[in-house]
Amino acid sequence: MVNGGLHEVDVPVGTTLADALRDVLGLTGTKIACGEGHCGACTVQLDGVPVLSCITLVHTVGEREVTTIEGLREHPLVQAFVEADATQCGFCTPGQIVSAAALLAATPRPGHDEIVHAMSGNLCRCGTYPKIERAIEAVAAENRGG
Amino acid sequence: MELRQPSSLADVDGGLPLAGGTEVVPLLRDGLVEAETLVDIRAVVPKGVSGTTIGAGTLLAELEADPEIPSALREACRLAASPQLRSMGTIGGNLLQATRCWYWRLKYPCFLHGGSTCHARQGEHREHAIFGNEQCASAHPSDPAAALLAVGATVRTDRRELPIGELYRLPTEDDRNVTALEPGELILELEVPRPEASHYLKAMDRARWAFPLVGVAAARFGDGVRLALAGVAPIPWALDSADALEQATPLPGTAYKVELARPLIRRALDAIA
Repeated sequence: MVNGGLHEVDVPVGTTLADALRDVLGLTGTKIACGEGHCGACTVQLDGVPVLSCITLVHTVGEREVTTIEGLREHPLVQAFVEADATQCGFCTPGQIVSAAALLAATPRPGHDEIVHAMSGNLCRCGTYPKIERAIEAVAAENRGG
Repeated sequence: MELRQPSSLADVDGGLPLAGGTEVVPLLRDGLVEAETLVDIRAVVPKGVSGTTIGAGTLLAELEADPEIPSALREACRLAASPQLRSMGTIGGNLLQATRCWYWRLKYPCFLHGGSTCHARQGEHREHAIFGNEQCASAHPSDPAAALLAVGATVRTDRRELPIGELYRLPTEDDRNVTALEPGELILELEVPRPEASHYLKAMDRARWAFPLVGVAAARFGDGVRLALAGVAPIPWALDSADALEQATPLPGTAYKVELARPLIRRALDAIA
């Protein structure tokens, strides 16, 4: 299941989830940067939990629900990232939003330390971290009722 | 390559075991391990915490939130990796991580790969060992392994039980492995005693997750205290006492690790006093 739709992919064993999403399903919002599980650019949710799609073999996903950035188009974080100017080059942004969406789903009103802890697996080479925190805090404030 | 997904231990027959994949997939991609057959062992390796027993398939993310396990192990799991990696990686796999030594990762014909030279000893070795480094100066990256060593955990495999200290061995001329596991042997469970107090601290290059430059685990049982270090030797390293740090054999580029370890040990001992 990817973003609510059922897909069967026919690829060799050893193919990663990231490659299958991008090259077979055309969901190129998921980015591959380091390709070895360090940077978080490829983050997707598996049953709501952020994981690294560049080191997840697609044959081990089974029937779990994959959520990519394309499945979060309507999430308030997208607008919050724009309003907080939380992107520079933007390459890490899909992974950032996927991680942040999982955090807010589990903890609608996270404190500063919870945000930093939950987002620590998503690197941003442009250094937009303070603005990413601001964007997440803005959505958390809405969850708090403004 | 094929993937097998056995539903019972009896059906596991050779192949390269795969659980969270955070270690195996990058090693496969870099050609550091090769396999015709991958075996998804998630359905056959025990998971979860029951009393003092931890299933090897338990995720680091589960352990870091478990109030019943020793706090050194909980903290070591929390500090071990990024949130995504902790939600994927299992404790069993974490114990069997390969070194981050860049010469080994870049496939230099080094001692650990079966050659006759440790390139790190002569070359760049800032992140390398200060103990047990005569033939191979690589550093073992596992934080939880040090915590489990300090609390005196026992490893149960599909073939035997052994103290975690005996799971690891320094590589020798005859055998370059850093674990005592036989081919195909699977870690199934850990038996983890409960100390009266325990603590884990680590120094990293970044404030948030990185491999340990030095990790220190301390555990107190009755009047006795046990110390173990991560990131300082080719294997997790038990330290008889804080004074034993003076027996370190640092390389020119790793002497700073001795100075890093000293206050970390003091702080860990204070925390469990």
